[in-house]
Amino acid sequence: MSTNTNDILVQGKHVTKSYHGNVVLEDIEFDIRRGEVHSLVGENGAGKSTLVKIITGVTPRNNGEVDFDGHELPIDFPRTFVEKLGIAVIFQELSLIPGLTVAQNIFLGREPKLGKTRLIDKKKMVTDAEAIIKKYNFPLDPKAEIDSLSIGKRQLVEILKALSMDSKLMIMDEPTASLNLKESKLLFDIIKNLREEGVSILYISHRMEEVFELSDRVTVLRDGQKVALLDREEISPERIISLMIGRDLSVSDYEESVLKTVSGDTILEVKKLCSEKKFSDISFSLNKGEILGISGLVGSGRTEIVRAIYGVDPITSGSVLFDGKEITPTVKQSISLGFGFVPEDRRQQGVFMQLPINKNICSTNFDRYTRMGFVNEKGEDAIAESGINMVSIKPKDPNYIVGNLSGGNQQKVVLAKWLVRDLSILIIDEPTAGIDVGAKDEIYSVINNLARKGVGVLLISSDLPELTRLSDRIIVLREGKMIKEFKDQSITEEEVLRASSGLI
Amino acid sequence: MTQSMLRKIILLVLILAVMTFFTIMSPYFFTANNLFTLLQEASFLGIAAVGVTFVMIAGGLDLSIGSATALTAMVCINFLEYTNLPVLLFLPISLLAGAFVGTFNGFVINRFKLPDFIVTLSSKGVFSGLALVIAVKENGFVSNVFIDNPTYLWFAGKLGPLYYVTIAFVIIAIGGHFLLKWTKFGTYVYAVGANKNAAMLSGVDIKQIKYGVYILAGVAASITAIFQSSRMMTAMPEMGIGTELDIIAAIVIGGTAFRGGRGDIIGTVMGVLFLTIVKNGIFKLQITPAIQQIVIGGIIIAAVVFDEWYRNYSARKRNMVV
Repeated sequence: MSTNTNDILVQGKHVTKSYHGNVVLEDIEFDIRRGEVHSLVGENGAGKSTLVKIITGVTPRNNGEVDFDGHELPIDFPRTFVEKLGIAVIFQELSLIPGLTVAQNIFLGREPKLGKTRLIDKKKMVTDAEAIIKKYNFPLDPKAEIDSLSIGKRQLVEILKALSMDSKLMIMDEPTASLNLKESKLLFDIIKNLREEGVSILYISHRMEEVFELSDRVTVLRDGQKVALLDREEISPERIISLMIGRDLSVSDYEESVLKTVSGDTILEVKKLCSEKKFSDISFSLNKGEILGISGLVGSGRTEIVRAIYGVDPITSGSVLFDGKEITPTVKQSISLGFGFVPEDRRQQGVFMQLPINKNICSTNFDRYTRMGFVNEKGEDAIAESGINMVSIKPKDPNYIVGNLSGGNQQKVVLAKWLVRDLSILIIDEPTAGIDVGAKDEIYSVINNLARKGVGVLLISSDLPELTRLSDRIIVLREGKMIKEFKDQSITEEEVLRASSGLI
Repeated sequence: MTQSMLRKIILLVLILAVMTFFTIMSPYFFTANNLFTLLQEASFLGIAAVGVTFVMIAGGLDLSIGSATALTAMVCINFLEYTNLPVLLFLPISLLAGAFVGTFNGFVINRFKLPDFIVTLSSKGVFSGLALVIAVKENGFVSNVFIDNPTYLWFAGKLGPLYYVTIAFVIIAIGGHFLLKWTKFGTYVYAVGANKNAAMLSGVDIKQIKYGVYILAGVAASITAIFQSSRMMTAMPEMGIGTELDIIAAIVIGGTAFRGGRGDIIGTVMGVLFLTIVKNGIFKLQITPAIQQIVIGGIIIAAVVFDEWYRNYSARKRNMVV
């Protein structure tokens, strides 16, 4: 190797990790040099987050070795040890304490002491915070409470906190996700400065132009394997994307999408839909028997749009037409019009964990087995059983508590509660997140069958192979706006990924 | 076996065990007289507990239930003292007062989106204060109004050896069980407690359910108030205050999850019986009443520890299968 080993800050050898027999990282080799910006890219589920968790001791590795600054890291270590080593992590989820001030958050756990007492030197804390803020030229007031700051500014505080620790390695996971353009520029300048100072940065982002602008080297992961390590001169957005995807559409997938027949009748039409902050000027239509894919990065407004159409969140302007008639969406009305809604977060919004399968399935079907509010138990059982059979939930016992089912079967329960109704439209958000491969295929065939019966499907997914395989058309969103519509059936993952990363 | 079945069996064994223990230890415990008195005491607690079980399954908590009893009892007394209306009217008026109290809780929780704990902690103060304000007074001091109205006093009576209040408790428990297990409302109560978001996306009107459970609790409190004041032949503004903790304890012992979504009336009835037997037995043993509090506290901890243990145990078992 041409580089001196002393130039290397982090080195991983044969790093392997699996969960319950599912391999998520397989024999990964990687290294991060001192004073470089090293990007880690890959589709959702490629293993990026797991690798970060292994470096920071959040998740123990199964096999392999990770060296930091010349010492081998133990398999499992606490957060405080990470900070002592000089690794700072800026996670997507903010880890700030809302009731405290900017200065208090920056120095949390490292407060300057008043002389030899155990009391906190508040004055020094504020002046120290001010000094750091000035050094990096952030638009922040050290005495402001976190509550009063915008999400973008909170992210800046998080970054400041990491900067104040004099770290050797900074890990940034989608740091610009909640920053505006000006704040992002500020962050890029800081990153470039840090590199000058010899700090290493591990940068994770879905936005290709950022990766392209900042990176010295790029590691590409796909399905838990390292597929490429690119040097500065080899980096191009096109190259990265084709490496990330790296597979062709199989013949059977193609046949499946051709077989579908889409009738011409429009079931749902959305015109110039706007919400207060999340999205604006959204227009599209959905035909009977059509699967319309909605693509976009997390935070692009895709979930918010379908929630508004279903009647959960308010609309500020624009109109929704069902079967040609304008409606003001409310959840109750949507259900009676034959909408089904499978939310993105199964555990938080989809299932009733403590309740049995039959109560879960019947939660949307009271109109069909109650009379004047009284439950007809035979009707309840009949509905539950037909639901269980439609999607083959295992076990078939209608009294089985849903919390004890596997993720795939829980998702089938959520689907079943809508399938037992006569649906006209199914809205389904991340249908297979966290679900094993077998159950995925079953869920795909359920969705395809529905479409064949003439149900219009709005499908949101971050899983691009899934989205391109199922969808007849795909619309791409970016920062709350529709930026592209793919109309033909030969949509490739690459095109969609390029559009949602802003490369068109 | 399901967790709830296992719990009921354990609770039943415990009830039989403490009854045997007290029978051996005290000659005054297992007498017909004491047992019917015990059932009477259990019924006062139990009627309110049926109402609060709905609140807790829906994921709420009603700390104001004791004060609601006091307030509705004072409304009854005022009705008897100051009006010449037909005496039987005190019944609907008391129930209405209970419904109003529940509506108040539901309104504050729904309208201002506040946690149930905070709202009912505050309304507990409001209701007991109101009870004091409307209490009949002489020279500025609260005076105890004696109830001599035979219609009112009828409620303290017995059918054979069984107190009417016990019969009322049985009817209310059966009705509550039916409402919870056999109606749309009951299923929605579970749904709201199990997962508010999922319930909302399934078209459940969460606010309506919240109103419903608190109104049920309020009405249950007012029924307790009628029987309680009839037995004591008077009502005091501090009547029932403090019973909310016994009620919640009985419900938790009976297997209703503190976080909501799980539980039933049968469990609550068993929890109420168990708690009352332990209290009554300790009293009959003539040991210091302080022991009661310690024992009850210990039982609650044991019940919750069992729940946690069983949950981890079944999770482990599940992981081994998968």
